[in-house]
Amino acid sequence: MPFASIVVPAFNAAATLPATLASLSAQSYRDLEIVVVDDGSTDATPRIAAEHATRDPRVRLVQQYNRGLAGARNSGIAAATGAVVGFCDADDLWAPDKLDTHVAHLAAAPLVGISYSGSALIDMEGRRLGHAQSPRLTDVTAAHVFKRNPVGNGSAPVIRRAALKAIAWRPAVERRRDWVFDETFRQSEDIECWLRLSLTTDWGIEGVPGLLTEYRVNTSGLSARTDAQLASWERMVTKLRPTDPGFFARHEPAARAYQLRYLARRAVSAGDAATAQAYIRQALSLSRAPLTEEPLRTVTTLAAAELSARLGAAPMRLALSLKSALRG
Amino acid sequence: MTRPRILHLIDDTTPGGITRVLDHIQSCPQMARDARHVVQVVSRNRALPRLSADMIVSHLTIGWRFLPALISFRARHATTPLVHVEHSYTEGFTALNVPFRPRFFTLLRSAYALFDTVVAVSPTQARWLRDRKLVTRSNLRVIPPMVDLSGFRALAAPTGRPRVIGAIGRLDRQKGFDALIPAFRALPDRDVELHIYGTGAEEAALKELAGTDRRIRFMGHAPSPEAAMAAVDLVAMPSRWEAYGLVALEARAAGRGIVAAEVDGLQDSAAGALRTVKGLSQADWTAALAAARTLPAPEDRATGAETRFARAWSDLITQHCDAAQAAAA
Repeated sequence: MPFASIVVPAFNAAATLPATLASLSAQSYRDLEIVVVDDGSTDATPRIAAEHATRDPRVRLVQQYNRGLAGARNSGIAAATGAVVGFCDADDLWAPDKLDTHVAHLAAAPLVGISYSGSALIDMEGRRLGHAQSPRLTDVTAAHVFKRNPVGNGSAPVIRRAALKAIAWRPAVERRRDWVFDETFRQSEDIECWLRLSLTTDWGIEGVPGLLTEYRVNTSGLSARTDAQLASWERMVTKLRPTDPGFFARHEPAARAYQLRYLARRAVSAGDAATAQAYIRQALSLSRAPLTEEPLRTVTTLAAAELSARLGAAPMRLALSLKSALRG
Repeated sequence: MTRPRILHLIDDTTPGGITRVLDHIQSCPQMARDARHVVQVVSRNRALPRLSADMIVSHLTIGWRFLPALISFRARHATTPLVHVEHSYTEGFTALNVPFRPRFFTLLRSAYALFDTVVAVSPTQARWLRDRKLVTRSNLRVIPPMVDLSGFRALAAPTGRPRVIGAIGRLDRQKGFDALIPAFRALPDRDVELHIYGTGAEEAALKELAGTDRRIRFMGHAPSPEAAMAAVDLVAMPSRWEAYGLVALEARAAGRGIVAAEVDGLQDSAAGALRTVKGLSQADWTAALAAARTLPAPEDRATGAETRFARAWSDLITQHCDAAQAAAA
């Protein structure tokens, strides 16, 4: 049995899956299996995975009717045999030394259950956008997870099987296998999982330096659906609050402010200035934490939202062209 | 040969699980057959006295400030077998109460190393102690706690659809009754009541949560644990952490169905529960309570539990006292 498993949830990912699988097969840590979970795709996703398996026998394909990202990850976990399980969505890429780094980290830090790294953001063509998620790496508490989600995205963590087992459960409606991610969530399923692990187990969450994941962002300017995102975040809070009401009483306002600031940034990117303005104003009325803890990011969000709301898209276009000119 | 004298040290004399277990140890005829069990109350704020016994069993709460006293006690009882029973600490406790885990694990590892044997009160707790490398495998035993269950077994099993859901225990954050009350209130059924037995710091807050729902009743302290159990049909245990969970054992002995949180040792003590729930989400608990009302209570009655408990202690005593004698010879 391989020591490490990488679970790749894939839904209609034919355009990006080849690059994802190539980056996983090229991992310098060799003792691995790659479990591709085809989540009911209607495109060439399963064929691409099967073809890749003929070149790399460590690849396995699991197929299911569409259950969503959480359901695909859960099926992948159930099929995985490794002592550690990494996750890489079918549009993201892993740096060649990513798995090696996390395996070494977990071996050296026996109290750490989730090992993660920062991520570089890439566009639909796989070009680096010059942005990165560079989260806090050490002394991560549940409050950090709740407010800033240092794990960052679903292709960043490599998780000890024992930690996954500690939060697994079997809902009454489920007959086949356990749930680790909550399949009733279509968004916020990552943060719900990490926060639940923080609040109900004694496993540590810790990062390693470096941008070891390339995380693809949709830059096509489609609607960000921030209202649905906010609703699922609120549902997560409602679900987990009874676990530790005191914790939520202390950290909920700041965490909600950070969430609203994030949604404001999404709305700015999507060109929805009015929504962005409403979110950032609401954020700052809830908590000063984003201003005092991360003044630069908060002020730029506020400025972008307010200027766009007053002057339309011109300021953002100017800022973007300035930035690309500076980068040369 | 005279029966060995076993000295049990406690620092917590408030009525509750540990006190009741020690009452049982002192009064159980099966326990008395192989050893004389004596309980001594000690203060956590002073040095521990020099004591004489064939084996000394700590039921004390480990803490940093207590560690020097424990080290000194070990030094003064170098040849007496020392056993510690871990009644408190679990993974769930650590998750919700210990922000900085490495320091806490160092404390436990240091304290446990002073004892010849550490007794876990549930298999799940034992696995945690082992996985966290707090106790070596050879120094670890599992002996779930015990009380006299005869009074619970004497109760007639409830008949018909359960009408009274019982929440029995200290009104403390640990017991999770604050999560149970909203879940119960969301039950549409009119023919069901929630009876809460116990007192504690959370009482006012819990009454606030119960609001005007007349189906919820605060019963205060029951005259006896058996009396509380007799008055309920189904037992709900939404604990946030639980090294063992005696109420679940008593509910089994009484033939009452259980709805329990999937946490720590409660997973062992509530074995055969009608429903278990991971976490305290209100929706999950409401669904579990509703489902449990439609299920027949199991009839296991925890048969033979007292005998297993007495035998486990007898084995441990024999092992240590034989070793001490061999060393002395």
